[in-house]
Amino acid sequence: MILDDEIKELMRYIESSSFTEFEIEREGFKLKLVRRLPQASNGDVPLAPPAAEAPRPQHPAPASTVPAARVAEVEPADVHQVMSPIVGTFYRSSAPDAKAFVSPGDRVSKGQVLCIVEAMKLMNEIESDCDGEVLEILVANGQPVEYGEPLFKLRTSGIRPV
Amino acid sequence: MFRKILIANRGEIALRIIWACRELGIKTVAIYSTADRDSLHVRFADEDVCIGPPRNTDSYLKIGAVIAAAEITDADAIHPGYGFLAESAHFAEVCEACRIRFIGPSPQVIRLMGDKARAREAAAAAGVPVLPGSKGAVMTEADATRLAARIGYPIIVKASAGGGGRGMRIVPGAEQLAPAMSAARTEAQAAFGVPDVYLEKYLRNPRHIEFQVLGDSFGNVVHLGERECSIQRRHQKILEESPSTALSPKLRRRMADAAMKLARAAGYQNAGTLEFLLDEDGRFYFMEMNTRIQVEHPVTEMVTGIDLIKEQIKIAAGESLGFRQEDISHTGHAIECRVNAEDPVTFVPSPGTITTFHLPGGPGVRVDTAAHPECRIPPYYDSMVAKLITRGNNRMEAISRMRRSLEVMVVEGIKTNIPLHRRILNDPDFVRGNLDTGFLDRLLEQKNEAVAAS
Repeated sequence: MILDDEIKELMRYIESSSFTEFEIEREGFKLKLVRRLPQASNGDVPLAPPAAEAPRPQHPAPASTVPAARVAEVEPADVHQVMSPIVGTFYRSSAPDAKAFVSPGDRVSKGQVLCIVEAMKLMNEIESDCDGEVLEILVANGQPVEYGEPLFKLRTSGIRPV
Repeated sequence: MFRKILIANRGEIALRIIWACRELGIKTVAIYSTADRDSLHVRFADEDVCIGPPRNTDSYLKIGAVIAAAEITDADAIHPGYGFLAESAHFAEVCEACRIRFIGPSPQVIRLMGDKARAREAAAAAGVPVLPGSKGAVMTEADATRLAARIGYPIIVKASAGGGGRGMRIVPGAEQLAPAMSAARTEAQAAFGVPDVYLEKYLRNPRHIEFQVLGDSFGNVVHLGERECSIQRRHQKILEESPSTALSPKLRRRMADAAMKLARAAGYQNAGTLEFLLDEDGRFYFMEMNTRIQVEHPVTEMVTGIDLIKEQIKIAAGESLGFRQEDISHTGHAIECRVNAEDPVTFVPSPGTITTFHLPGGPGVRVDTAAHPECRIPPYYDSMVAKLITRGNNRMEAISRMRRSLEVMVVEGIKTNIPLHRRILNDPDFVRGNLDTGFLDRLLEQKNEAVAAS
């Protein structure tokens, strides 16, 4: 029998690892932990196939439906995603003719402004939550973004604060 | 008519609004918190936007996020449903300022009716009977003592900004007045951010009768009859029906006239409900007005055949009511049971994952729900899982249909109050229509006595 504390510890470990699923079975006891990746979209409800016009098809399926072969494609541990903390419109620069805050290949430090998300005419500066190198910008300038939508991929290893 | 409506709600009411939009050919946008990612309203809306983490204040109550979601999806109207931002005058104002139509009455009317003391004054000014009580908020203890003596005990202390039974104290005699005042003020401050309270004569076990009204932007106001909502626990309605067994045609007409008088005086537009207390002698008093669609609206729909959500949308889009008072007819009887995820004995909420879910059907049965097998009932929001509604040609047929529906409704994995509903439907007083707001407490006491005796 596994104790509550041990389950909590397992959950913490899985959270910090790149695993999305963990399953253990003993006599009279079965535990399955599934981590939902933050970019998981809807589509988990086993009622009907998702509507054909389901928005944002570029989102990967939720972790629980990812086939085993694809689990291996999960990002390496040193790749960090910066998520949008609010709903709004994504802008790469402070004004249409201004230079982009960051571009792929740039080194950024924690607290540095990466982009703007406009909500209700307010320009919200979105800061990086870690040091890293910009690998990829995941949304286009002027594109609407949801709460929790990944905006940037940063590589965090081998980076010194600039 | 609107092109696209954003639904600022979740659960069954979000789905209910999606159905109405579908029938009207309007596109829908669902908003959701991360706890509701797999919900049916997200699945069945044309578009969906995640607006924040599970906590209400960071998602469904966060005005900036809701408006931003409407802006990025280019919605031209917002339906607030019930709860959350439905009765926020500020939210209605922000919608107006952002040129998004708020599907509901004007911010001024929401603000007037949201202030229970001012609403009382407005009712009295319109000639609608109100319970004897203070004119507006009572500021000092000395004023309260003087007033209470004049009204006569028992009295009830209520929060001006109140609702849902919070900030409310019953005062049986003068010596309990001061502690009750300060307790109600503290509770009101904590719950609503305003400590103002007012006094009213307290009726022991009255009936709770409410009238549904609709008003359009051309000054037309109609009523759609009453709903009897006396079966409550701690001011939370559990079972509602229409029509009420307590109203004679004459009393119904007098109450409906009073409801329409106040709705007209307030310049009311859209769907609204006027709540009254009815005492044993057939005297009725205005209690408050709800400036939104209500949970129990289906019982009115079932006996009038009028789709209230569609009417709300049409009125907000500037259309005139498509019918006059004399076109509205009431046929049959409808009952609604609110199926909640809670322990039927202790009433403790029972969130969790539903494993088995089977719904009743057949003639005269309607179920409004967003639940399904394997769905999670998150602990963050209210505990209502489904609304089970039956209609019959008369009250007895509606009761029979409700009994057989409750027997075949299966919800496993969580606890529900279905056993409580079965008891209510089989109680002799309920069957006779002998109802008042003390009904459920008496029923629960009987049970406790039976348990103690065995």
